[in-house]
Amino acid sequence: MRIVNPTFGLAAAAGPTVALKPINWATDAIALISNSKPNARELLEGVKAKLGAFRNVDNIEFHAKNSASQAAPKELIQAVAGKYRAALLALGD
Amino acid sequence: MTDIAEQEVIDIGDLDVEAFNEFATEQGWSDGMPLYVPTEEKVAKFVERVRGDNRPFPPVPPRQIVPTLQSLAANAVMAGCKPEYFPAVTAAMRGVLDPEYNLHGTLATTHSCAPMVMISGPVRKELDINCGSNCFGQGWRANATIGRALGLMLLNIAGAKPGEMDRSTQGNPAKFTFCFGENEEENPWQPYHVQRGFAPTDSVVTVMSGEGPHNLNDHGSTSGIGLLTTFAGGMANPGANTIYGKGPMFIVIGPEHAATLKRDGFTIESIREELWTRSRVHVSRISEENQETYVSTGHKPDGEWFSIGRSPQDIHITVAGGPGKHSAFIPSFGGTTVASVRIAP
Repeated sequence: MRIVNPTFGLAAAAGPTVALKPINWATDAIALISNSKPNARELLEGVKAKLGAFRNVDNIEFHAKNSASQAAPKELIQAVAGKYRAALLALGD
Repeated sequence: MTDIAEQEVIDIGDLDVEAFNEFATEQGWSDGMPLYVPTEEKVAKFVERVRGDNRPFPPVPPRQIVPTLQSLAANAVMAGCKPEYFPAVTAAMRGVLDPEYNLHGTLATTHSCAPMVMISGPVRKELDINCGSNCFGQGWRANATIGRALGLMLLNIAGAKPGEMDRSTQGNPAKFTFCFGENEEENPWQPYHVQRGFAPTDSVVTVMSGEGPHNLNDHGSTSGIGLLTTFAGGMANPGANTIYGKGPMFIVIGPEHAATLKRDGFTIESIREELWTRSRVHVSRISEENQETYVSTGHKPDGEWFSIGRSPQDIHITVAGGPGKHSAFIPSFGGTTVASVRIAP
């Protein structure tokens, strides 16, 4: 018996690829991005404190989505991509 | 050997229905209920029904694959649809793919939301969709299987596997199926799809990522304002996502309640205004911790009151159901929209 696969789909056209450059975790600018769920900010503050044990944290900055339930706006993603070499995300609940 | 996930047509050998269901369950294709077998012949009958609708489907999040009409139809067959239901099912799928619907968020969330499907216009009669007594419940093949077909598409095409991509804390029985028709014949105002700018002769599918219906019981009030007092009290829910997620919601008014509101001069607009004002939640009903969370994410109270949406326009009004003194409140996921799609003739 031949059946149609209910999970079948075609791969979406791939977007442009970006070559990643090495990150220097000791000096590079880092964005700490909250998904706006409770305690995400506290979690990221802990990460910043840990990083502060071995590096200057003046160029480590916090950002947040404006809604926990929606994707980050393109403006935020572009701003982070333009200013920082790395981003650490607080995900989940 | 090619993985079967990469094949549009699969030869499964000589399986009976029971053996097919075991096979489908092993593949992760099932919602837990028995499935019809999506043979090539059955699928072809469904696809034939939408040949006039050539608009391509976009990639479906979160899985980001582009479905074919055949793979969509396979899910509708498995759900138990008749071929004539398929245009309504594909319209519902187009609705949840509206970018503002936020399909990825609504499928991956810990919230209990399920895709609510409401059908308006002449197709309700053509497909025998229940708009009257027990319209949210069991007993009608069209209601049961159109909603189920959309759920199977979200499982199999979108990839919303419970406990994996679908992270809902408790889920919701409406995830099996949640489809009803508007009771236009007993709606004393404009049908919902006409409120949205469609022609009365259009048949339209409206989708919203919602919770199940919350009953609004009022046997005592004999005035419109009395009924709205009850409705607003039921809507003022500190545990609803909309109180901080902000987003749309439906009030599905039972025909008897609708007649009373109409008699007392209420319009769709005045009902919205009255409910918007009266359904606010006083800060005393919200924990201090939650208030801090809401405010820190941009949802500030108006004085001592939190609103349950962004504006009166977030409150969508329709009429459905049969005799009795009940209506229903259906809050949404929050970060979503109500999408209405005309069913292609």
